[in-house]
Amino acid sequence: MSQGRFVAKRVFQGVGVVWGVVSIVFVLRFVTPGSAINAVAPLDADQETRQAIARELGLDQPLHVQYGDYLVSLLQGDMGFSYVRGQEVATLVFSKLPATVELALAATVVAIGLSIPLGVVSATRRNQPVDWLATLFSLGGISTPNFWLGIMLILLLAVQFDIFQTSGRAVAAVEVAAAVVGPAPFVDRLQAWLAHITLPAVALGTYFMALVTRLTRSGMLDELGKPYVRAARAKGLPEVVVRYKHALRNTLIPVITVLGLQLGTLIGGAVITEAVFSWPGLGTLVIDSINLRDWPVLQGSLIVIGTSFVLVNIFVDVVYSALDPRVVND
Amino acid sequence: MLSDRVRRNLASEFRGSILAKLGVVLVLLVVFVAIFAPFVAPHDPTTQSLDNAERPPLGIVQTEQRTTSEMVDGEVQTVTETVTIRPDAAHPLGTDGLGRDMLSRVIYGARTSLIVGVLGTVLAATVGVPVGLIAGYYRGRIDDGLMRFADVSLAFPSLVLAIALIGLWGRASVAVPDPFVAAGFAQEMPETFVLPGTVIVVVGVVNWVWFARIARGEALSLRDQEYVTAARALGADDSRIIAGHVLPNAITPIIVLGTVQVAAIILLESSLSFLGFSGTTLSWGFDISQGRDYVSSGQWWIAGMPGLAIMVAVIGINLIGDWLRDALDPGIEGEGGA
Repeated sequence: MSQGRFVAKRVFQGVGVVWGVVSIVFVLRFVTPGSAINAVAPLDADQETRQAIARELGLDQPLHVQYGDYLVSLLQGDMGFSYVRGQEVATLVFSKLPATVELALAATVVAIGLSIPLGVVSATRRNQPVDWLATLFSLGGISTPNFWLGIMLILLLAVQFDIFQTSGRAVAAVEVAAAVVGPAPFVDRLQAWLAHITLPAVALGTYFMALVTRLTRSGMLDELGKPYVRAARAKGLPEVVVRYKHALRNTLIPVITVLGLQLGTLIGGAVITEAVFSWPGLGTLVIDSINLRDWPVLQGSLIVIGTSFVLVNIFVDVVYSALDPRVVND
Repeated sequence: MLSDRVRRNLASEFRGSILAKLGVVLVLLVVFVAIFAPFVAPHDPTTQSLDNAERPPLGIVQTEQRTTSEMVDGEVQTVTETVTIRPDAAHPLGTDGLGRDMLSRVIYGARTSLIVGVLGTVLAATVGVPVGLIAGYYRGRIDDGLMRFADVSLAFPSLVLAIALIGLWGRASVAVPDPFVAAGFAQEMPETFVLPGTVIVVVGVVNWVWFARIARGEALSLRDQEYVTAARALGADDSRIIAGHVLPNAITPIIVLGTVQVAAIILLESSLSFLGFSGTTLSWGFDISQGRDYVSSGQWWIAGMPGLAIMVAVIGINLIGDWLRDALDPGIEGEGGA
């Protein structure tokens, strides 16, 4: 199979999963206690409003018609209307998405940037103090609740030492980038951005940093013991090339698989990290929606979260197939 | 259930690993305090004492600026004074904002975490393992359906799905009488223990897919083994083959997954309690959310202590997980040290 067909196949499967996500979210409407109208109408709505909402949503139609209408309106980008907030769900959800993506990306950069070197160093200096420290650090990292870590970071670095901000998001990364070419003061913006994003990114990224350190370490140990590494050394390749070009590349293949599978944990982690740092993203929106009983927004958020997961996994698979062409033929 | 070879591997791996021993000690400690909480806890974890609030843990002296206003000769006078709060040996880990003993709360919190962790995992395995075994054994449409469903469920992060389900279903909890207190062995302790029922069901619902996936993988590779074919040739029916031949040979990866899942569910439960979705107020995550309000004024132990307790429990379980994986599954390279 060619690379192109592989990608096409993954996209096709992804569409199927998104359809499943949407269908589950549709069904969730009906597991709400009481009728589906309760899930949509504000608590204080009178009988007339409720009937109007029911008519508008087509709740008086048979189920399969409702399901069909639901799919069609989603395809048109219509996720419904939040009667509690008085806003279009799609507008609301997509206005919150960039903040969450930014936080998740920053956490991934923190995690990958530190963990792979740490894992490599740990594996090449096995049973030395560095290795022990890395092992302890990664064990602690996968065992620490990220919301607690966030609070402790706030306590130490925002309250005691006043280096970072405790909450909120001052500027978007895009605005910082715009300042490079635009008239706005770049350094000020960068500082404001870093002051707000560093702690949540570290709190969210630590689990992944620990996980990837463990995987890289064990993968490297495995690869460094294989015959091809001995052969590479025997023909006189510099150790740097043996480690980074040969062994590390093969180590990264399983690491990427696990990262793809764990992406849900990253998004789930973002939800609670946002709650700790009052980060104005999808996570905060989900929690607020439950407390406000704003089900349309909750459903819209679930669809966007599920779809993002599918998209990123397709991306991961494409990267994976570039690193390891064998998977294309599986 | 486990063969002699497996037992030998477990024992030899245990002897050689400090981390495995540490894991067992930590988990035994947590299990012990959780079961015998009414005896181990020095105070009732729910008793408030405002005179005793915000007391620091042993060894730490806290100074605080307190501003009080009073009427003197018809005018309001504000006085700011520095108050020194000393630790009290009766509260080794300090007290929270309402004067409740942190040590007792941490001990009782272990009960919630362990009960949710173990029952949630058992529920997830009870649903997931049979479904996975059947799908892997029969293959075909059942298998395709399961795998597609698994793909879709994995697209929802556990925490997000759990929050959504609790949001829809409400947060029901059951008060169970504490057997030790009911039998009169322990006095002045809470008479009932609150079991967060919805949370247990939800974490099971959210996590069963992991068990289904692993059981399916095992069943797929075991179904064509000679002894399974032999059993089929001898006329054994499918349910007997699955229960008697496939399951026992698939059990070790399921046990390893189960161990890791207990840790994952403890973290999930603490996240749910932290966000206020749990239904019990005696839980590590709930205490961390209470303690969050005291972080800016410097009372770090109110959020700090329950977080350390979570770390102790989860590190212990993860170390046991590493030990089991190294011993039971030599195919997967271990990460735990040697």
